[in-house]
Amino acid sequence: MKKVLALILSAALCLSMAACDGGSTPTTVGSQPAADSGKTDSADESKSGTKTIAVMPKLVGIPYFTQTGEGAQQAGKDLGVNVIYTGPTKADAAEQVKMIEDLITRKVDAICVAPNDAAAVIPVLQKAKAAGILILDWDTPVNDEVVDASVHQIDDKEFGEHLVDQLVKAMGTDSGDFAYVTGGLSAPNLNAWYDAGMAYAKTKYPNLHLVTDKIPTDEKQQVAYTKTLDLIKAYPDLKGIVALSTPAPLGCAQAVREKGLQGKISVVGSAVEADSQEFLEDGSLDSASLWDCASLGYLTVSIAKTMLDGQKLTNGMELKGKDGTIKLQLKSDGKTIIMGPPADYVKK
Amino acid sequence: MKSWKAWKAKHSNELTLLLILLGVFVLMSVLSPSKFLSPGNIQTMAFQMPEFGLMALGMMAAILTGGINLSITSVGALSGIVSAFVLSSPWAKTNPVLATLLAVVVCVAIAALTGLLNGFVIAYVGVAAMLTTLGTMTLFDGISLNLTKGGSIAGFPSLFIQIGNGSVGGIPIPILIYTVAVVAAYYILERSAWGIQVYMTGCNRIATSFSGINTKRTLLLVYVFSSVMAGLGGLIIISRYNSAKVDYGSSYMMNSVAAVVLGGTSINGGHGTVAGTVIAVAIIQMVSSGLNILGVNRYIVDIVIGVILIAVLAIRSLAGIYDRAKLLRKHTAS
Amino acid sequence: MKKLLRKKEFSIFLIIVFISIVITVASPTFLRPDNLIDVLKGNVVLGIMALGMLPVLISGGIDLSVTGTIALSAVLCGKLMVTYGSNIWMVFLLAILIGAGIGFLDGIIIAKLRIPPIVTTLGMQSVFVGIVLLYTNGDWITNLPPWFKQFGTFTVGVLPNGSGGTLGIPVQIVFLIAAGLITWFVLKYTLIGRGIYAIGGSRSSALRVGYNIDRIQVFIYMYCGVMAGIAGVLHTSIVQQVDPNTFTGMELNVIVAVVIGGASTVGGSGTVFGTFLGVILMAVLENGMVLARIPTFWQKIVMGIIIVIATSFDVINHKREQNKLVRVDIEE
Repeated sequence: MKKVLALILSAALCLSMAACDGGSTPTTVGSQPAADSGKTDSADESKSGTKTIAVMPKLVGIPYFTQTGEGAQQAGKDLGVNVIYTGPTKADAAEQVKMIEDLITRKVDAICVAPNDAAAVIPVLQKAKAAGILILDWDTPVNDEVVDASVHQIDDKEFGEHLVDQLVKAMGTDSGDFAYVTGGLSAPNLNAWYDAGMAYAKTKYPNLHLVTDKIPTDEKQQVAYTKTLDLIKAYPDLKGIVALSTPAPLGCAQAVREKGLQGKISVVGSAVEADSQEFLEDGSLDSASLWDCASLGYLTVSIAKTMLDGQKLTNGMELKGKDGTIKLQLKSDGKTIIMGPPADYVKK
Repeated sequence: MKSWKAWKAKHSNELTLLLILLGVFVLMSVLSPSKFLSPGNIQTMAFQMPEFGLMALGMMAAILTGGINLSITSVGALSGIVSAFVLSSPWAKTNPVLATLLAVVVCVAIAALTGLLNGFVIAYVGVAAMLTTLGTMTLFDGISLNLTKGGSIAGFPSLFIQIGNGSVGGIPIPILIYTVAVVAAYYILERSAWGIQVYMTGCNRIATSFSGINTKRTLLLVYVFSSVMAGLGGLIIISRYNSAKVDYGSSYMMNSVAAVVLGGTSINGGHGTVAGTVIAVAIIQMVSSGLNILGVNRYIVDIVIGVILIAVLAIRSLAGIYDRAKLLRKHTAS
Repeated sequence: MKKLLRKKEFSIFLIIVFISIVITVASPTFLRPDNLIDVLKGNVVLGIMALGMLPVLISGGIDLSVTGTIALSAVLCGKLMVTYGSNIWMVFLLAILIGAGIGFLDGIIIAKLRIPPIVTTLGMQSVFVGIVLLYTNGDWITNLPPWFKQFGTFTVGVLPNGSGGTLGIPVQIVFLIAAGLITWFVLKYTLIGRGIYAIGGSRSSALRVGYNIDRIQVFIYMYCGVMAGIAGVLHTSIVQQVDPNTFTGMELNVIVAVVIGGASTVGGSGTVFGTFLGVILMAVLENGMVLARIPTFWQKIVMGIIIVIATSFDVINHKREQNKLVRVDIEE
C-alpha cells in the first residue's frame, strides 16, 4: 500500500514540477522576476552563438538592485545577448556562492557579481574561471586577480569623502556628534566609503565626534529605522547620521521624521532618487547622493559583451551606454572601470 | 526468503524514500539532460550536500531522544569562526599544515564544549530541549557576533581551502568526510550499546531510567555528538567559502529538521535511521539543485520542499491509519 | 500571599522589576513615559502573536507557521490598499481571513492527518513564506495610502508625559489590550478554553471526558493565525511599509516570550498574564540594553544567557516544589 502511494507521489511530484517549470517566470509586482530567461537546455543553446551573461547583485528585492537589473536586461536586448539577472533574497554571501556554482553548471559565458563578501566568492570564482567563464565584478569590488574586469560606479574614496562633506553642509557646523549606519558589515564598497569618510573627517573636521561603531542594517530599511530610533534614544546629542547602502538613509530619515527631529538631526547618505523624494520633501533626509543605477547595470553587460567579443579594454574607448555612447574610463591597472562622479539629489 | 521479506518490511520506509530519490533523479535528468547529468553538476551537488547532511545528522541525534537542537547552525558557525582565527593568523601562513590540523582540532573541541553546555542544561537541569537550544543558539550567535564584529574572518591557507574545495581521485573531499561521518553515526547510533540507550531514552525516558540506564549521561553525550556533527559541518562550510561569518548556514537549521523527519525519524523520539536521514538529505539536495538548474524561481524551491515534507508525512500517516484499520478488520472478522 | 509568591509568574515579575531597576540606574531615560510607551508600541506585534501562540502551547502543540501568516497578511493587505484604495475595515477583514485560512489548514492537517504540529507548521511556513517571496519578489510595498499612515500614528486618550506635555496611547496598544482581554476570557470562561487546557494536560483523558479534540485543535490554530494576521496589519501601520523579508525568525521570539511567561512546551499550563510578563521582559531587556549603550554584539549574548537562566530558574523552582510533595505517581 505504502509503495503504491509512494509511486503515485513521485508521479505527482513529476507532474507538478513540470507544470511549475511551465510557469517559472512569474509576473511579479512590476519588477524584474528573479527567475530568468532560458528555462530548459534547448532554450539556452537555441540562439546559437548568443552569449549568456549572468549578472548577480548582492541581493534582489531592493529598489537599487531592481533598477540595475532593468538596466542590465535593457542592455541584453540592445546588444543581442542573453542576460540572466539573479541573486539571493537577502545579503547572504553563502547563497551567492551556491548560486554561482549553479551558474557554472548552466555553462554561462560570463559571470558579473556584486559580492556581499569578497573573500567568500573567490574560491567559487576560481572554479568558474577554470571552466572558461569570464569574471567581472560590479558595484562592489572583489579585490582579487581572479576578476577580468572590475566595474565601479564611482571612485570609492571620492564618494566616502563627499558624503562627509554633505553631512557637514547639512549640519551647518563641523563639530558635534554623528554616527554611521551601514548595510552589510562585510560589503567592501560600503566599508571603503566608511574608511575614506572617517580618514577624511579626522583630518578635515577634527571636531566631528563619532559616537559608536558603525551600525549594520543588512540592507533592510526597517532595521535602519529601528536602529536609528535606538540611536536617538541612546545619544540625545546626536547631530548627524551618514547612512550607507540604499535602504539605510530612508530608514534613518523615517525615524527622524517620526520623532519630529528634522531640524536637529541631519541625515545624508546613498539613496535612490525616486525613493528619497518623500523624505527630502519634509527635511528628514537632507541629501541623497548616488548614481544612475540602471546605467551601472547596462554598463556592466556592455563591458562583458565587449570582452566576450574578444576586444581588449582601452581607456577612452567608446562603448554603448544606457543613454548613448560613452567613453570608458579605465584605470591604469587595465582592469578597473569608473562610471562617473556621484550625483546629489536634493529637494525638488 | 523469509528474512528477505522481513528485512523489506522493517526497512520499508527507507526503500520508499529510495524510490522517491530515484524518481527525483530521473525527473531532473529528463528535464535538463546535459546539465543535470553532467559530471560538473554531480560534482557541485557532491560539494553542496555534506555540510547540510552533517547538520541533519546532528539534528537527528537530538530528535531521536525526543528533543531538538535549534543551536546546531550557531554551533557550526561559532566553531568555524574560532578555527578561522587560527587559520587567518600570520602564524598560519608560515605553517599551513600545522595550522590546518590545529584548526580541525579547535573546531571539534569548541563544538564539543557547546554540546556539553547544551547537554548539561537539558539533562541535568532539566530545561526543555527546545528552550535550552533556543537560548544557547542566541548565546552562541552573540559570541560569534562579538568575535567577528558582524563581519567575516577571511583568508585561509590554500591547504585548508582544499578541504572544502578539493578532490581526491575525482571524489570531493567533503563527500569523503561526510561518508566517514555517516558510517560512524550509523555504528554509534544503531549498532552500539550506547546507541541503543539513546533510542530507549527517546522512546520512554522514565522506563529507561528505571531500567538502570543513566539517562542523564546519555542525553549529555547525545548533545555533544550533535554539536560535533555541527562543528564538522561548520568546518566544511568555512573551507568552502574561504571565510567565517555568523550567519553562514543559518538556513540549514529548519531544513535539517525537515530532512530528519522526512527520513523517517519520529519527532517524539525513539525511532529513526541514519540511512533514512541520509536519503532524505539527498532528496532535498537534488530537488534544490535540479530546480536551480532549470532556472526555476528560487522561492518555488522552498515551497516544493515544504509541500514534499507535508505530502510524504501525510502519506505515511494515512498509510498507517489504513494499515491499522486493515489489521482491525482482519482481527475482528475472524 | 504565600500562594501568590509560589506562582511561576511571580518569579518572572521579580526578574522584570530587578532588571528595570538596574536599567534605570544606568539610564534614567528608561522610566520616562514616552520611552515606556515607545517600548510597548514596538512590541505590540510580538505581544499579539504571543497571545495567539499561547493557546497553541497550552494544548501541547506549536505553531511555527506564524511567520508565513504575518508576512502574507502584511503583503496582501498592503497590495489591497495600494491597488484598490479600500478602507480600514476591509484591510482587517482580509487579514483575519488570511490568518484564519492558514490556521485552518494547519489545524486540519494536524487533527485529521495526525502529523505532529512542529512538522506541519514547519512545512506550512516553508510553503507560505515561499509564496510571499514569490509573489513580491522580495520587493517592498511603500506607497501606502495616507489614511492608513494616519491610522498608524493615531493615538487615544491623554496622559501626562515626563516634561509637562501630554502623550496619547498609540492605537496599536489598544489592540494589544483588547487581544489580551479576549484571550483571557476565552481561556478562562469558555468551554473551548477549558478544553485547550485539558488537551494539553492529558489528551486521552480529554478525549474520554468528551471534548471534540479535532474541533478544538482547528480552533486553536485558526485563533493563532488570526492573531498573526492582525499583527501583520499592525506591524505595517507602525513601520509604514511592507518588507516581506523582515519577518524571518519571528516565530522563535514569540515562543520564547510565551514560554518565559510560564507556559510549558509540553502543554497544560500558561496564562495570559504570564505571557504579558514574558513579552514585557523581552521588551525591557532589549530597550534596556540599548539605553545602557551595551554594544549591539553583546546584546545577543545577554539575551541568550537570560533565556537560559530564566528557564533554568523556573525548572529548578518547579522541581523543588515537587520534591516537597508526597507523590504516588511515577514522575521524572
